[in-house]
Amino acid sequence: MKKDEEFMPRILAFLCNWCSYAGADLAGTSRLKYPPSILPIRVMCSSRVDPLFIVKAYLGGIDGVLLAGCHPGDCHYEKGNYYTRRRFALIKKIFEELDMEADRLLLSWISASEGPKYAKVATEFTEKIKKLGENPAKNKIFL
Amino acid sequence: MTKTLKINKNVEQGILELLRFLLDGGKVSGVFTLKRINKEGSVAYSLVTRSDELEDAVPLFPLMPVNAGKLLSRFSLRGKSNKPVAAVVKPCELRAFIELVKREQGSLENIFFISSTCGGVYPIEMAVDGAVENNLSKYWEAVKKGEIPAQIRPACRGCVEFKPYTADMTVDLVGSSDIDKRCMILLNTKNGEELAQDMKGDFLEKELDKKILDKFQNKREAERKKLFDEIEEKMKGLDGFIDIFGKCLGCHGCSKVCPICYCKLCEFESPDSEYKPSNYESDLKKRGGLKVPPGTVYFQIGRLDHIAISCVGCGACEDVCPVDIPISIIFKKVGESVQKLFDYIPGRDVKEEIPLLTFEKDELSEVED
Amino acid sequence: MNKPTGAVISAKSSTKKSIIDFLEKAMDKGVFDAVIVPMRVPAGDSFAYVLIKDKSLFKDAFPIPPVMFVQGAKAVSSVTRLGKGNMKIAALMRPCEIRATIELAKLGQTDLENMTLISMDCPGVLPTSDFLSDPEKGMKQFDEAAKNLDDKIMRPVCQICDKSSMMAGDLHIGTLGAKKDTFFVISNSQKGNDILDKLGISLKDNIDSWHAKVKNISEEKLKKRKKAHKDLKSEIGGLDNLLDAYNQCINCHNCMRVCPVCYCRLCYFDSDNVKHPSEDYLQMAESKGSIRFLPDTIFFQMGRMMHMSLSCVSCGACEDACPVSIPVAQIFSMISDETQGLFDYVSGRSLEEPLPLVAYKEEELHEMEDAND
Repeated sequence: MKKDEEFMPRILAFLCNWCSYAGADLAGTSRLKYPPSILPIRVMCSSRVDPLFIVKAYLGGIDGVLLAGCHPGDCHYEKGNYYTRRRFALIKKIFEELDMEADRLLLSWISASEGPKYAKVATEFTEKIKKLGENPAKNKIFL
Repeated sequence: MTKTLKINKNVEQGILELLRFLLDGGKVSGVFTLKRINKEGSVAYSLVTRSDELEDAVPLFPLMPVNAGKLLSRFSLRGKSNKPVAAVVKPCELRAFIELVKREQGSLENIFFISSTCGGVYPIEMAVDGAVENNLSKYWEAVKKGEIPAQIRPACRGCVEFKPYTADMTVDLVGSSDIDKRCMILLNTKNGEELAQDMKGDFLEKELDKKILDKFQNKREAERKKLFDEIEEKMKGLDGFIDIFGKCLGCHGCSKVCPICYCKLCEFESPDSEYKPSNYESDLKKRGGLKVPPGTVYFQIGRLDHIAISCVGCGACEDVCPVDIPISIIFKKVGESVQKLFDYIPGRDVKEEIPLLTFEKDELSEVED
Repeated sequence: MNKPTGAVISAKSSTKKSIIDFLEKAMDKGVFDAVIVPMRVPAGDSFAYVLIKDKSLFKDAFPIPPVMFVQGAKAVSSVTRLGKGNMKIAALMRPCEIRATIELAKLGQTDLENMTLISMDCPGVLPTSDFLSDPEKGMKQFDEAAKNLDDKIMRPVCQICDKSSMMAGDLHIGTLGAKKDTFFVISNSQKGNDILDKLGISLKDNIDSWHAKVKNISEEKLKKRKKAHKDLKSEIGGLDNLLDAYNQCINCHNCMRVCPVCYCRLCYFDSDNVKHPSEDYLQMAESKGSIRFLPDTIFFQMGRMMHMSLSCVSCGACEDACPVSIPVAQIFSMISDETQGLFDYVSGRSLEEPLPLVAYKEEELHEMEDAND
């Protein structure tokens, strides 16, 4: 990256099939603007995301991880996202305890109709990560 | 008040008498206890079925060669015990076993637990050169006074869960000044009472001395804070983590002896965690170099993700680490903080669900965007 | 191959630096795309193998470190177990690490087609715990001891290692018998010849002084080895003594975990085969009045002798990792010399020699058979 080039983070977004992915889709079809920083991965449910995916992504050098699913109570599988919330709380706490920039991890509930919310979350999270700068794991050798 | 059996013998002899009584009277078919294996102060867990074999038994010996929770799991993994068995274990071993039972790795049925307020155990390496043996009298002096014995495992030094939660019987040890003369066994459960019934000795109504134990707890808490502060100083982000774990061999010895790590095939030894040639190629492109075998940091954070919620802080991991990484304190510290999230104490109650297998509808709003 | 031939290389600054220069040059010429070399870890308290592609990382490379943290064969295997890949890689390791790598190749755990194995004369390694107690002191002690060929502070199995200059890989770097500020590069395979050819190094120099010194040292060490094994046998021979030797074992299986040739993903001794119903355990206990729990210590240890002693390279990793200081490596070096001797096999000597248990001769081992037949 050249010095004067602005840092554009790479953010991995796990989007649940039923709500958040549709929300992201809606943001696109509504032509809402948000930064090109998001790399979406569609999962059937946010609870499909093993916290180890997040660890692996972080150690692999991804600058931020967004985990998005249906609002609590709206899960297509009734309770998947409740488990997600606990798992996310667990991994985030571990990151906090290890002083490892827990701010790079974000959990957000985005429904299929919330295209604008998706765009807002993507924009704001990108801004936040920009402030944090590049993930230091990117260049580490002794992993 | 709790029904309590008082035996007018020193505490170890008292327990042995109880164990003999249980075996000879046919109340139990077997007894799990530590037994001496040589004169240098080494002990091993044994399954004893004949009371004359209890001669070398040292049920309260301050050493934990293996976390007994792991052993009891092995014992009852293939189905519950058909015969009653008594196990003399330390509080963290009992808690570990209960966590394993929650994971369907054992059964509590027909196992009766005799535990004690615990003064802590020495690192296993001290058993090798006879240092434990030489320290024994000092150890018991400290325990009697309600002080933290010197040189015990760091995890024990900072352990505040030294009272068993669910033992059928609890031996009063910590801060109990007359253990040379008397053995006080609190019979906490109906099973405990039934087992002790007809035993020679006095039956009283008693509680553990709260004042003494609170004082001990304060000492442990102060030690714990010191240990946590020390490690926090080093755990500064990824660089700090790499500094601590840079010498890790990847032997996974910590997970092998961990009572909570029960998986036959660990995720981090599975094909999922292996690097393909293409992974190396892309990583080299990114980083220029990579430690091989890779995966140290991933393994350690991953293991925190997997077991910190149930970590009982026994310290077995640190004991076997060939490169002396202070793993037990790291796991204890992170463990306690994630347990606090769910107001969970591992092994407190077998009916309490592992937090990740359950949820409440309204909680943890602080982790949401 | 006949007696290996070599070249004298002059070491401009230090041997270490010159070896790195050699590897760097080979990378420049495209002979290797990446190399596996030991590097000091960021905290400075140990060493690790690093697969290096970016040459700027060579500044932290550290050939022949004073300790063996991870056995190098494990490093090579992790890189090539799932295929040879597209990169040509050189690995710079100790002879016992190379030998273990070759055993792993025979066991199908590494693909050496794109790998060049470079060994070095090895002065031994410090026991890990000795080094960790004071790394800086350890570095100095090691350097001093290596210079004087003094093995007293090294791992016990290093003190009786007669294969510390054994060539099993493709290239060998010899420092023994070399004149001041020089070292030898010796080729041990066609691959080695080709590489040196590409680097413009011709194998015409006289390396008799290396051969002589190596012969001298290994003969001396072999004598020590035989004596040590004899002493050990009288100490641990017989079931009671053996039980005594393994008395402290806590079944952590660390020895197996760090062993370079124990590659099984799920060890037999961790499998369901050794997990019994509670009745069985109680029955076992009832027959004797009491059993140690877990009861399988000697079963595990003897089983491991069965499983891997034919491939044991006596590196000593097991002993270093034992939390209760059982001399596992010494016991295994004794056992493996005997078992390998049965088949005139030396673990890791050559890729072509088949593993003894996957080959047979029709006429052999008659001494094992009942003489009455």
